[in-house]
Amino acid sequence: MSRSGGSAEARSIGKPVKLPDAGGWQDAIAVPAAIAGAILTTAGFLMAFLWAAPVNGAAVNGFEMIGDTVVTHQQLISQKIFYFHMPAAIVSFFSLVMAAFYGVRFLMTREQRFDTCSRALMEIALLFVIMTMITGDLWTRFEWGVWWTWEPRLTTYLILMLIVIAYFVLRNAVDEPEKRATFASVVSIIALVDVPICFMVTRLIPSSVHPVVLREGGMSFDMGVTVLVVLIGMLCLGHALYRLRFRALRLSERMEALKEALDERPASHYPSNVQPTIAPPVATPSITELANDPLPDEPDPDEGKPATAVRPNGELRPNKGRIKGEYPTCLLR
Amino acid sequence: MQYAQSKKPSTWQHFCILLRKDLRREFRTREMLTSMGLYALLVIIVFGAALALTARGVDIVSMGGGLIWVLIVFTSLLGLGRSFSYEKDQGCIEGVLLVPMDRSVIFLAKAVANMLFMLVVEIIAVPLFYFFFMTGSETSSTFLWIIVPLVLGTIGMAGIGTMLSTITMHTRAADVMLAVLFVPIIFPLLYACTTATTAAIIGSVAWMDYFVIPLVIAAGFDIIMLLVCWVLYDFVISS
Amino acid sequence: MNPILADIYSTIIPSAPYLIAAYALIWLVLLVYVAFVVRGIKKTEREMAALELAIQKEYAADE
Repeated sequence: MSRSGGSAEARSIGKPVKLPDAGGWQDAIAVPAAIAGAILTTAGFLMAFLWAAPVNGAAVNGFEMIGDTVVTHQQLISQKIFYFHMPAAIVSFFSLVMAAFYGVRFLMTREQRFDTCSRALMEIALLFVIMTMITGDLWTRFEWGVWWTWEPRLTTYLILMLIVIAYFVLRNAVDEPEKRATFASVVSIIALVDVPICFMVTRLIPSSVHPVVLREGGMSFDMGVTVLVVLIGMLCLGHALYRLRFRALRLSERMEALKEALDERPASHYPSNVQPTIAPPVATPSITELANDPLPDEPDPDEGKPATAVRPNGELRPNKGRIKGEYPTCLLR
Repeated sequence: MQYAQSKKPSTWQHFCILLRKDLRREFRTREMLTSMGLYALLVIIVFGAALALTARGVDIVSMGGGLIWVLIVFTSLLGLGRSFSYEKDQGCIEGVLLVPMDRSVIFLAKAVANMLFMLVVEIIAVPLFYFFFMTGSETSSTFLWIIVPLVLGTIGMAGIGTMLSTITMHTRAADVMLAVLFVPIIFPLLYACTTATTAAIIGSVAWMDYFVIPLVIAAGFDIIMLLVCWVLYDFVISS
Repeated sequence: MNPILADIYSTIIPSAPYLIAAYALIWLVLLVYVAFVVRGIKKTEREMAALELAIQKEYAADE
C-alpha cells in the first residue's frame, strides 16, 4: 500500500511530495482485490471445513477408523474459528503499521493527505480488531466456558481496541485540522510502539494460557495453507475497503475545499453596490439553507455598477445587477 | 570583549530554568500536591468502603499491589491533567514557546516535574495505604522492594502522561480525553508493575521470577516510550 | 453410532453455535462497515447537490 520512493522524495527539500490521491494504481487494483478477497476467503472457508484436518482434543478411551486414518482423540471443530481469527489479527496489525507509516509521513511533510490515509487505515485496523475480538471471544466462550477472562493476550487485544477507539475519540475532540492531524499521527505512532510491548508482556510474564500456535511445533501443512489463503484474501479485502474509504474521505474533503473556495471568492467578483465589509445582520445561512431559499425577485436594472462580473470559473459575464441585501450572504463571508 | 552575559544559555540551563519554574510555582501555591494528596486519600476511603467486608487477613496481601496501582493511576491522572491547564490558562506556554531552544527540553522539564510531584504523592499515599489496610496482615520481608516498580512505573507514566496531557490540553473535554488515551497506552507498564509489586508484597519462594521479568519489561517500556515521546514532542507542542 | 465414535465427535454439536456465530459476525461486521462508508458517500452526495443548487440559483438571480 505504500508508494515506493515516497519517503526519499520527501527528504530532499524542495522537491514536491507525491501525494496519495484517489485513482492511482492502488485504486486500479482495488476492484480486482475485492473480487480476489471474496474468492479467497470463500475458498479458505471451504478449505477450513472440508480439507484441513480437524485438530485433536482430549484422548478418547479407544480408537476408531474414520476414512483410512486411526483416530484416537476428540475432534475439535471449534478450532476452525482460528482460520479466520489469526488472519484478521495479522491484517489489523498490518493496517496499524501502515497507519503509523502514514502518520510519520504526515509529520514529515505536513500534508493533510497523509493524515487522510492514516485515518482510513486506522478504521480498517479497528474493523479487523473487532473481527479478531469477536472470533476470539466466541472461541474462548466455548473452550474455556467464560465470555471474558483476563488472560494476557485477550487483554492485549482489548487494549489495542481501546487505543484505536481513543484515536477516533481524540480526532472528534479537536477542531483544527492541522492540530487534529498532528495529534492523530502521534497517537498512531505511539499505538504502534505500544502494541508489540503488549504482546511481549503477554508472552514473557508467566501464567499465559493462550495457545501459542507458532511456538509449539507450528501448524501442519494443510492448516498453514488454509491460513495463508484466508490471510491473502483478507489482505485483499482490507486493501479494497481501505481504498473505498479513502476515496470517500477524499471526496468529502474536496467538497469542503470547494465550498470554502466559493465562500471566499474576492469581493471584486461581485457588484460594487454590495460591500462585503458591511456584513448583513442576519445569521449566515449554510449552503444547504441557501439551496432551499426561494429565488429572489426580478432585480431592478440598477445604475452605476460595473458592466461585467467574473463567474466562479473565471469567465466574464454581463452584470445584470442584484438587489442589495438579497445577495447570498454566505458567499460574501 | 564583554559579551559573556549575552551568551546563549545551554540546553541544560534551559532545562533547569523550566524545571525550577514548575517547582517554584508548586512551592508557592501547593496546588498540585494538595489536590493530588487529598485525592489519594479519597481513593483510599473509597477502597475502605469497597473492601469493608473483605479487608481482613491474607486476601489484602495479594490484592494490595493492584490497589496501590489503582491509587497511583487515578492520582496521577488528576495531576497530569492539571499540569498544563494552568500553563495554558495563564498564557505561560506561549511565552515558553517563544524562546529559541530545542522544544524537547520542555518535555523533559515537564516530565521530570510531573515525576517529582507523583513521587512525592506516592511517598505520602503508599504508607497511608499500608497504614489503613496492611498493618494487620503479615507482609513478606521483601516488601520494601516495591520501591523499584513504583519508581519505574512513575517514570513511564510521567513521560507518557506529559505527552498526552500536552495533546489533550487542546481538545474539548480534556480530562476525559486524557484518561481515554492514558490508561490503554500505559497498560503494559501497569501490568508489569502490578505483577512486580504484587510479587514483592507476597514474596513467595519463586518471587524473583515474577519480579525481575516484569521489571525488565517495565524498564524497556520506559526507555522506548520516553524516546518516542521525546522525538514526537516537538510536533505536538509546535502545532 | 458406537460410544467411541460418539466421544470423538462429542464436542462438535455443542461448539457449532459458537462457530457459526463467529463466521456470521465476521460477515456482519464487514457489512456494517461497508454500510458506514456508503453513508459517508451519500452525505457527500447530498452536499454536492445542495452546492449545485446554490450555484444554479446564483446564476438564475444574476440573469
